[in-house]
Amino acid sequence: MSENVVEIQDLWHWYLRGTPLQTVALQGAELEIQSDDLAAIMGHTGSGKSSLIQHLNGILRPHRGTVRVFGNDLADPKLDVRPLRRMVGLVFQQPEMQLFDPTVGDDVAFGPRQLGGTPEEVRRRVRTAMERVGLSFEGFKDRYTFGLSGGEMRRVALAGVLALEPRLLVLDEPTAGLDPRGRRQLLESLRTIHAEGEMAVVIVSHDMDVVAELARRVWVLAGGRTVMRGSVREIFARVEELRELGLGIPQVSELAYELRRAGRDVRADVLTADELAEALWTNSTSPAA
Amino acid sequence: MDEFDFARSVTVGQYVPGTSVLHRLDPRAKLAAFVIVLAAIITSDSYIGNVVGLSAALGLVALAGIPVGYVLSGVRPIVPILVVFTVFNFLFLGNYDPTGSAVLWRQQVALGPYEFNFTVTESSMKQTVQGVVRIIALIVLTSTLTLTTTITGLAKGIETLLAPFRRVKVPGHEAAMVIAIAYRFVPTVADELERLMKAQASRGADFGRPGRLRFVKRARQMIPITVPLFVGAFRRAERLIMAMESRCYIGGKGRTPITLPALGRRDWTAIASAAVFTLAVWNVPWPL
Ligand SMILES: Nc1ncnc2c1ncn2[C@@H]1O[C@H](COP(=O)(O)OP(=O)(O)OP(=O)(O)O)[C@@H](O)[C@H]1O
Ligand SMILES: [Mg+2]
Repeated sequence: MSENVVEIQDLWHWYLRGTPLQTVALQGAELEIQSDDLAAIMGHTGSGKSSLIQHLNGILRPHRGTVRVFGNDLADPKLDVRPLRRMVGLVFQQPEMQLFDPTVGDDVAFGPRQLGGTPEEVRRRVRTAMERVGLSFEGFKDRYTFGLSGGEMRRVALAGVLALEPRLLVLDEPTAGLDPRGRRQLLESLRTIHAEGEMAVVIVSHDMDVVAELARRVWVLAGGRTVMRGSVREIFARVEELRELGLGIPQVSELAYELRRAGRDVRADVLTADELAEALWTNSTSPAA
Repeated sequence: MDEFDFARSVTVGQYVPGTSVLHRLDPRAKLAAFVIVLAAIITSDSYIGNVVGLSAALGLVALAGIPVGYVLSGVRPIVPILVVFTVFNFLFLGNYDPTGSAVLWRQQVALGPYEFNFTVTESSMKQTVQGVVRIIALIVLTSTLTLTTTITGLAKGIETLLAPFRRVKVPGHEAAMVIAIAYRFVPTVADELERLMKAQASRGADFGRPGRLRFVKRARQMIPITVPLFVGAFRRAERLIMAMESRCYIGGKGRTPITLPALGRRDWTAIASAAVFTLAVWNVPWPL
């Protein structure tokens, strides 16, 4: 059964509050995440995506509105957020910039060591986390961290968070700056993590193809507000609205949309190349028939 | 409440856009005027003179249309140092008073095998109080200058002020550039530090609950923060060099500004008022 593990209503947040440089980042954002969710948050640059997800593990606290995560009320100033940070793994934008230990194994072990487990337990967590992101434990644990490629460093950073064994994994722009193969591998890992790790996964992304490929539910932010929500199919069928928000749609959906505008009778909610082929094939008005 | 929002208290190197007189002054004139007022603040040898200096600095903040509380929040980080400094000065400075002024209070305290002499004289008291007032006035004044001046303006101002020293081989332009860049990067590094602390906290780093013993916990978590902070700073410096070189930057030699507006009436008025203020602070026979 899936219940809501995250419930955010009417969330407001200001940066540099109380200074002349104050800016509002969120003004009435909403978000719900279920315990087995695979969700994506989209939005234009500066729409507040990063600010929103930093509320999920108490890095930021709500200035107004309610944020409930695993039953914790984050508006309560007395709440100790440290247990929450273990349940919610947050991977920041460009996490490879945050590595610090000379060897990969030690860097991944940072989190588990903070939790204070036995050496065997730490080792087990590091091994599992590294293999989940496709880095072999024996092959990589003693490698020099700063000698890895960008894509490998990113996977190390992801493993560092996975080693906390969170129940909700949140990633900010996980595929930005990766080459097509790196991106495919990362998406593959995320799918496995979601399936095997029994955790909810939330990604923030600009890349519509990534969203279409991975997510089931989508939340769209604009100007610090939640403006659209729904299943990935529903959202990508609303092409004009997305365009107005300065967002694109997946390439295949784009193609389907243009075909439809050119007078072809194609379903509105195709996401993948196979679906489009099928939609064209079974279409009675297609010239092939 | 906001655990990681400490960029809020970094006022060094920030620029607050505005349209006040201070914002509109030519940066060269502004810098000159501020240096003149600064001279009054750090040399005045009387209680009232120092308080007048501090009031002038706060007056300038008001003139700039910047909330005084924001400027003072830049003082907050040094408050602990200031307190220690003041307490020690107050208790011990009198022991070394060379002026032989009147002793106000003297006390001998034995702590185990150690013996301390606490002495407060008229002149040591004055120096202690003035020290605090001057430091605060200094910070307020320099913050007001930098909060109302863009970084390029500041660089141009420093360069102009250093121009007379070119004869004795002071590289005015380069010095100005270095100071300006260093200043500009303070908020950037603060942002970076904030981002790193957030990221490492998300990876399980424990910076402790705000409050008690937080310093201890923080010190233990230094490495995960400092290593990437320095790596990032070097990377940023390299990129900056590349960006400057690809714009054909070769230092100050043969470089001339596209526009060099003459100082206007407002600018000369500012310099003149500063001069009058400083002369007044120096020459008025303050009773205290
Ligand atoms: N540390 C900060 N200090 C001041 N303002 C900030 C800070 N972080 C974000 N902001 C501002 O808050 C707003 C929302 O920023 P946020 O980073 O949440 O957007 P985003 O949707 O993640 O954008 P992007 O896609 O560029 O990452 C922006 O206007 C931004 O300028
Ligand atoms: Mg972002």
